[in-house]
Amino acid sequence: MTAKEALPEPTNPLGVDGIEFIEYATSQPQALGTVLQTMGFMPVARHRSREVMLYRQGSMNLIVNAHPDALPGLAAPTAVPELKAVALRVRDAAYAWRRAQELGAWEMPIRASAMELNIPGIHGAADTLIYFVDRYKDFSIYDVDFVPLPGVAPRPPALAGLHYFGVVQTIGPDRTADWVDFYRTLLDFSVLPTGQYFGILPKGTLLESPCHKFYLQLLEPPPASEDIVWTEGLLRIGLGAPDVLAATRALKSRGVVFVDRGAVQTSEKGALTQVHLGGVTFELVVSHLQP
Amino acid sequence: MNLDHFGMDTITLAGALEGKLRAVRDAGFAQVMLSARDVVGHPDGEAAAVAAVRESGLRVTGFQVLRDFEGLAGHLHAYKVDVAKAMLGMCRDLGSELLLVCSSTLTHGSGDPELVVRDLRKLAMLAVPLGIRIAYEALSWGKHVNEYPQAWDLVERADRANLGLALDSFHALATGAALDGLEGLDPAKVFLVQLADFMWQEIRSPEERINTARHFRVFPGEGVHGVEVAALVRRLDEMGYRGDYSFEVFNDDYVQLPLPVVARRARQSVKWLTDQVSRRSLPIRRAAKR
Repeated sequence: MTAKEALPEPTNPLGVDGIEFIEYATSQPQALGTVLQTMGFMPVARHRSREVMLYRQGSMNLIVNAHPDALPGLAAPTAVPELKAVALRVRDAAYAWRRAQELGAWEMPIRASAMELNIPGIHGAADTLIYFVDRYKDFSIYDVDFVPLPGVAPRPPALAGLHYFGVVQTIGPDRTADWVDFYRTLLDFSVLPTGQYFGILPKGTLLESPCHKFYLQLLEPPPASEDIVWTEGLLRIGLGAPDVLAATRALKSRGVVFVDRGAVQTSEKGALTQVHLGGVTFELVVSHLQP
Repeated sequence: MNLDHFGMDTITLAGALEGKLRAVRDAGFAQVMLSARDVVGHPDGEAAAVAAVRESGLRVTGFQVLRDFEGLAGHLHAYKVDVAKAMLGMCRDLGSELLLVCSSTLTHGSGDPELVVRDLRKLAMLAVPLGIRIAYEALSWGKHVNEYPQAWDLVERADRANLGLALDSFHALATGAALDGLEGLDPAKVFLVQLADFMWQEIRSPEERINTARHFRVFPGEGVHGVEVAALVRRLDEMGYRGDYSFEVFNDDYVQLPLPVVARRARQSVKWLTDQVSRRSLPIRRAAKR
């Protein structure tokens, strides 16, 4: 009889290593920029050929896309800003893209212009995209496609240690198992045990990235919500903070207003900002992640 | 079980899509199974077909049919993935949450269960962002998969939330597949049940099976296997299946009869079936009360 060592399967074959950037699309980029700046994000660079701006805060890159064909083949950006893409850091973007397609992902059309990087991506919920980026160590994608704004610090520090914690995705009724299959198969996310939640909005299903650096929260429509318009898509960004109360104090001093209604109250576990521009809100979650 | 659980299939009716939808609705049905031909063959284009379906108020039971998808390699596989994507797109546009997939009839396709499972998983994955479920059916003249227990085995092995089984009474009866196999099914993973009967006792060859399936099916209660069809529905009902029943009746006579006449026959079939099923389940309910 051959002795078999119980070696675990690789849990992160793509080498997922956190979020490279998150992208909003909007036809009112300046209004969104104002909101982002109160949250501590600073504009640092502009895209060479498109109406696209890069905001930064600590380890977080955030892109505001106002280009008329913001996402190829999809509708033009609306006035209400929408979360349209999450870019994942991976070991080899081309491999990640190929593997995802072999497993049944929908490829995203290429949109790079001459001398620009072609960032491969696949379709996610509704008309959102998931990009794969492998150039984030020695040089970054922004070095190629973006022009720095003059006289601006290229790496503004994070406010109160804020960092990307995750993204909240709305899904249709009884669709949790479908989307769990999606993220587990394509990106090797794993489901956290029922009842394990972070922050002050303990709902839905939580998925952890294989690099343990961020989370996805899947939200089915709440019970008895026939009157609510509930479409699939990306709902909001979760920001981690080592000290939520210190972070909310810092943000309040910049004019950010937090929800304090019913069960949603700022605490040391988390907080939720009010909705801006008809759809933009941020959730704060206590977190000691080191992105 | 009542009328709301049953629907007609456009392949049973002649003429334009709008007329079919009207006949189905006027007969009192709340749902209809659509075929790709209804959409791409519409004289005013696909958008008009989609609008007609939405305006009809009928719920779409499902969309058919993706053929010969699984077990292919290389350029054949790539070609079929493109076809599948186009069909999934139409399915979504029509507001259908289910795509029917028939087991492959191609001699070029492999029957290796590992490859088939890989392809079914891929198809299910393609369907996830569109909110579509995949119902895999054993065509009785499928090359490698031709009886529903085989299809069920593959669905179970693939283990994807949006992948399930489509059960067609014609194919089960035509191959003589025993209803005992139903016991092994998880009713929650049966995504669609298609019902039809036929007029002769036995089918002697695969060619006769294809010919019967495409031209001589009748509604349950009109053929000679009514007892078996009713038993199938009763068994599924007892197992806890609460999904849709669709009349998959290909019949050359029905496509040259007035639509209301055919739709009336479908209504009679619902009555016949529900009578059969409720009659037989009465003693069981009484026994349970004691």
